[in-house]
Amino acid sequence: MTYQPQKDFGTPASGSNDLVTCTIDGRHVTVPAGTSVMRAAAEQGTSIPKLCATDNMKSFGSCRLCLVEIDGRRGTPASCTTPVEPGMVVHTQTPHLQKLRKGVMELYISDHPLDCLTCAANGDCELQDQAGAVGLRDVRYEVQSTHLGQEKDHSNPYFDFDPSKCIACSRCIRACDEVQGTLALTMEGRGWDSKISAGLASDNFLGSECVSCGACVQACPTATLVEKKVVEIGTPERSVVTTCAYCGVGCTFRAEMRGEQLVRMVPYKDGKANRGHSCVKGRFAWGYAQHKERILKPMIRKSINDPWREVEWDEAFAYTASELKRISDSYGRHALGGITSSRCTNEETFLVQKLVRAGFGNNNVDTCARVCHSPTGYGLKTTFGTSAGTQDFDSVEECDVILIIGANPTDGHPVFASRMKRRLRGQDGRPPAKLIVIDPRRTDIVRSPHIEAEHHLPLRPGTNVAVLTAMAHVIVSEGLANEAFIKERCDWDEYRHWAEFVTQPRNSPESLQPVTLVDAEELRAAARLYATGGNGAIYYGLGVTEHSQGSSTVMAIANLAMATGNIGKRGVGVNPLRGQNNVQGACDMGSFPHELSGYRHISDGDARKLFESDWGVALDPEPGLRIPNMLDAAVDGVFKGLYVQGEDILHSDPNTKHVSAGLAAMECVIVHDLFLNETANYAHIFLPGSTFLEKNGTFTNAERRIQPVRKVMTPLNGLEDWEVTQRLAQAMGLDWNYTHPSEIMDEIARLTPTFAGVSFSRLDEEGSLQWPVNDAAPDGSPIMHVDGFVRGRGKFVVTDYVPTDEKTGPRFPLLLTTGRILSHYNVGAQTRRTENVAWHPEDLLEIHPVDAEDRGIKSGDWVKLASRAGETTLRATVTDRVAPGVVYTTFHHAVTQANVVTTDYSDWATNCPEYKVTAVQISPSNGPTDWQEEYEALSERARRIATEVPAE
Amino acid sequence: MKIRISDDALAIACGADTVARAFIQAGAEVERVSSWGMHWLEPLVDVDGTGYANVTADQVRAIMAGTTESIGSIAEHPFITRQSRLTFARAGKTRPTSLDDYYASEGWLGLAKAQAIGAEATIETVLASGLRGRGGAGFPAGIKWKTVASAQAATKYIVCNADEGDSATFADRMVMEGDPFMLIEGMAIAGFAVGAQKGYVYIRSEYPHAIAKMETAIAACAHLIAPFIVEVRVGAGAYVCGEETSLLNSLEGKRGEVRAKPPLPALEGLFGKPTVVNNVLTLAAIPWILTHGGEAYASYGMGRSKGTMPVQLAGNVKHGGLFEIGFGITLGELVNDIGGGTDSGRPVRCVQVGGPLGAYIPPSRFDLPFDYEAFAAADALIGHAGITVFDDTVDMAQMARFAMEFCAVESCGKCTPCRLGSTRGVETLDQIIAGKNVEANLALLADLSETMKFGSLCALGGFTPYPVMSAITHFPEDFR
Amino acid sequence: MTSLERLVYMLNQIATNLATDPDPVTAIAEHVQLFWDPRMKQMILESDREGLCPAAAAAVQRLAQAHASA
Repeated sequence: MTYQPQKDFGTPASGSNDLVTCTIDGRHVTVPAGTSVMRAAAEQGTSIPKLCATDNMKSFGSCRLCLVEIDGRRGTPASCTTPVEPGMVVHTQTPHLQKLRKGVMELYISDHPLDCLTCAANGDCELQDQAGAVGLRDVRYEVQSTHLGQEKDHSNPYFDFDPSKCIACSRCIRACDEVQGTLALTMEGRGWDSKISAGLASDNFLGSECVSCGACVQACPTATLVEKKVVEIGTPERSVVTTCAYCGVGCTFRAEMRGEQLVRMVPYKDGKANRGHSCVKGRFAWGYAQHKERILKPMIRKSINDPWREVEWDEAFAYTASELKRISDSYGRHALGGITSSRCTNEETFLVQKLVRAGFGNNNVDTCARVCHSPTGYGLKTTFGTSAGTQDFDSVEECDVILIIGANPTDGHPVFASRMKRRLRGQDGRPPAKLIVIDPRRTDIVRSPHIEAEHHLPLRPGTNVAVLTAMAHVIVSEGLANEAFIKERCDWDEYRHWAEFVTQPRNSPESLQPVTLVDAEELRAAARLYATGGNGAIYYGLGVTEHSQGSSTVMAIANLAMATGNIGKRGVGVNPLRGQNNVQGACDMGSFPHELSGYRHISDGDARKLFESDWGVALDPEPGLRIPNMLDAAVDGVFKGLYVQGEDILHSDPNTKHVSAGLAAMECVIVHDLFLNETANYAHIFLPGSTFLEKNGTFTNAERRIQPVRKVMTPLNGLEDWEVTQRLAQAMGLDWNYTHPSEIMDEIARLTPTFAGVSFSRLDEEGSLQWPVNDAAPDGSPIMHVDGFVRGRGKFVVTDYVPTDEKTGPRFPLLLTTGRILSHYNVGAQTRRTENVAWHPEDLLEIHPVDAEDRGIKSGDWVKLASRAGETTLRATVTDRVAPGVVYTTFHHAVTQANVVTTDYSDWATNCPEYKVTAVQISPSNGPTDWQEEYEALSERARRIATEVPAE
Repeated sequence: MKIRISDDALAIACGADTVARAFIQAGAEVERVSSWGMHWLEPLVDVDGTGYANVTADQVRAIMAGTTESIGSIAEHPFITRQSRLTFARAGKTRPTSLDDYYASEGWLGLAKAQAIGAEATIETVLASGLRGRGGAGFPAGIKWKTVASAQAATKYIVCNADEGDSATFADRMVMEGDPFMLIEGMAIAGFAVGAQKGYVYIRSEYPHAIAKMETAIAACAHLIAPFIVEVRVGAGAYVCGEETSLLNSLEGKRGEVRAKPPLPALEGLFGKPTVVNNVLTLAAIPWILTHGGEAYASYGMGRSKGTMPVQLAGNVKHGGLFEIGFGITLGELVNDIGGGTDSGRPVRCVQVGGPLGAYIPPSRFDLPFDYEAFAAADALIGHAGITVFDDTVDMAQMARFAMEFCAVESCGKCTPCRLGSTRGVETLDQIIAGKNVEANLALLADLSETMKFGSLCALGGFTPYPVMSAITHFPEDFR
Repeated sequence: MTSLERLVYMLNQIATNLATDPDPVTAIAEHVQLFWDPRMKQMILESDREGLCPAAAAAVQRLAQAHASA
């Protein structure tokens, strides 16, 4: 099928339930009330010429091309700004309209470069299309003055801005306002002098507040804003719908191709998670797939001090299988383990855990969720019965109160944050939702254009449970609990036990203020707002889970939601903002050492039997090792072999020295990844991986939404990741014969009740499905716990505040917390190998002016960041976003070695590391620490690849 | 001896402050009052009701001695007696910011009446008066108020459009400088009738005296209109912000860009709330209407143009000033009888009615009665009723070019026909004026005018064709 | 710290956080049973229980009894 952009109806769809019938060009059309004439015509198949209208933004009425004639009305109204009325009779094409449209187009073309044939938008230009549509044949003006010949802005790494081609339709400005919510773009000057500006007159696109989400590029009807790749390659010839591989929002994109070359990724308007929007990463930062550092051939070496030796796949598999067997024979089957990837597909993670359980014969399998949302799994399973969020993203449209705790959505989940911002700005005419933010830092959402949080509670890091308990105290003691809901849906006795606990005087906001450092009145007001402000929804992230009381915090959140009846309908709920594109999926697939797919405990005999009869092998009934325990066991000398797929534990796990000690103690570390990452420094076998563009499968996002990943190009490394795991299994003697990932999904569906109705053909039909998908919910489950909790009755769990053992003191007086930035993704494995480094070339340490001044530190200075665990050096930036006593950094660059500093403390229930609380000292520095220098030398040695010297 | 001299900006420009100072130095007691609106007589000195015209400081002693020739009783001057001053009843007679003077001249009776009869009856009164928007659109004020009153919203606004930017207009300025309490009373009545708590007066930045007078007046009477609050907001030099939606954008702190309608400001106006946007004269007429009744107001005028219009005579005219009269008077009577023809003495070649976007009307059409519908039928518009008079030295091709140039300078830039068309219009007229391809360019100009007239988003681009095409139609000889 | 010291720390941490459970000792024992791998359980059972808080020690005792009778 030849390239077609997605259909554009001109103006947004109306949400009204009332229908209106009118006549357009002699044909009856029935549409919801509030629909514009333009959209009604488009739905009927009539395209009224347009340039400034596009269907993901409000109508603007500036181009004046879409004029129509309406019986009984004077003049020629614009069809984009005219809503249909019952009985209206519209004519979209008359001689008068033709003349007017030509007149408008003649004006446009009198001020536009006439280089269509060599223009990047040739064949994909709405101005070209409309000039053709209105039949413009000549421009009669003797032109004296034009906007041609202006300088282009090439500053953004991914797209160009050419003001000479601008038709001043303002679509870019409106996209930045209505879709993204950053409001970086504006129109400077007036009249003929109107000019698009990226901010101040001195700003270019790179220097401005633009976050490079690409919404303006997508909106621009001409080549004024165009992707550099299109300039380079040309227009695409076909498109394939697939899912982004970065974060847990799971945006749907059209991968627009020319042959096997990806020209651009364009957000898909019908994507249920993103609704046609994107962020800089998914939209533009996919170049890592062709980066020169990508490894395309398998490599092996006997010792990590040797250079790598490239081999063919067969040799690699045979060698790997023999090593695993050797270790199993020498040390026992418990000496092996695997880590599944939260970035690979469901089918692929399912195979890795199957390899471990059926192949290695143990349950030593874990995944990155260990270090991020494992407390979510534990906490929500205990309280609600399901290890996942309760809503879909659309649910935010019906919130009245949004409570964000320990999350920074504008940076970590930007596309969802834009939707949240629409609700916070009240863009649909309803009163805006109110915002409460609980975070030690003043994150961007606390105060951004047209948005201000009602309450920002800047708590001391590590005191989440105390704050939530204090809020519960307010809600129960002031009589704001929803007792009807609790009686119906929860256990009343458990509630009373919990209520007695929270209402104790020691749990009041006033009593806890010295601990939390949160003003008691503010906290009371926030609690009241959440309880009484209408639909209250809680969104949380790693600022909740990555603590020694992570699981307790999740349960405390669940307690609040249950106590106020904010579960089981739209606009409420408990929403963990899952980080990775498929971390939800990896957990669903049984990547945890204690659980089979669908969160059934390994001790569950019936569940085990189901797998055993399907797989033809007996399963170990005891829980296996979690990643930190694998490393402990390695140091103890009893854990020797590890298969790591798509995870860089040396970079992302805490206490780097402990991780490297564990890896160094192993005899066979197999890294299956795209690049030689930090973990590969300690690897003996490297299996090159495939990117999301090079395989078929599914990802499951934070909404439990299973979405298809579609292959658009042949894997550069020769095999899709699931094929690699299968070949490895076959080399080990397992009889696996999958020919396509759909067969793996069919097996998953057979063995996992919550996935019973899922199949690739169903996903093709529906676009996506939210699990559970079974007989009770054949079309999936957008909202959970609607009539009852999955576990039956919701469980109130008493969560007492236990201060972390990581204490500040004279040597380490500050508290470090960590986070993410928009342009980079986690350890930066992908984004550092794209142009995104333009925005964030290094990790910076945020420090409050008071603390900086005490130490003689200015922005840009090198500082030493030291904790009891280790020390590292990076540059500082002085800001009052953090409170005095708190410092903050990101961990996107390996050279920063941020995790040298983080500790071994972890969540009591899941061992999720306490990244968010480390006692540190900051001091001026004049260079890298010894550790950094040693590590850099080690990395350089470990990354050598032997080049073949031809034999004489 | 009671000496009254106006402190209206025009009077000051003619030297009124100097004259007043001279009188004070000579020991007289001087009251500063609003202007009578007979601009060719300013500085006009009122000595116990007798008028002395074009006074200079050196004439002060003679006037005080009674040895100078006067123009007689100002109130009996034919320019005044021929008018029906309902809105401008106090002009020349009261001190603008004196609450005593206002009370003594029927002040605050309208507001009291409105509060006595209630909001709904107030709106009925305005409907009965037939009052139409005096800014130019001519939309029935009562219907607008009714729409806003019926809107379900806790917050509503009254916005007074005081961005009087048309050439030959000064009536709004004279109201704000001369009778500010009347405007404030009118806004308070509007607020009461529709349920609005707050009113804004958007005054163009080029009216500093009006801004100061309004601020003083608001401070003085705030307690009388409470709980209704009025605030002044100052524009920043954009003619287009006289268009109601771009005015609202400017009030909200945004670019003065025109908004598409629907939605109507009456339902979604300032900050998205139901808003009454009315011109100064519209709101200024309200107190009289409530005091004397809707039918009384409607007894003036003709056809569907009820009530009185404060006509502003300016340009090359002998007797420039404010002439308030019921609709129906002919254009010729206004220009020749009352205006006295040109100031230069040369024949009148044409007049432009309604500001820079109004049609040029030749003497052959001076039979036109001042009536919204009659003017529209003749492809002309009343607008804010400013009349600019031209004598026979005017070059109509240059005037047509000026119309396009004015549009280009003042365009907000949002819609294509105005943003690009105005500049192309100037270029095309330059070609015509230089004699190049005249017939082809005239045809192109006609097409461009049609595109602008039917395609523009607002009246700035939409009405620019009026002066252009009327100049070509009535004065073709200037183009060839 | 050694592996055993780490296990003792983890167990004490679990005990502190489950102190508000209606039946803390059972809750701790269940947690260990569900989530610790056999080798970790072995280590703690074979240890001399030094350093364990009372509830944790009682839970280990409960587990030892369960394993003995298994």
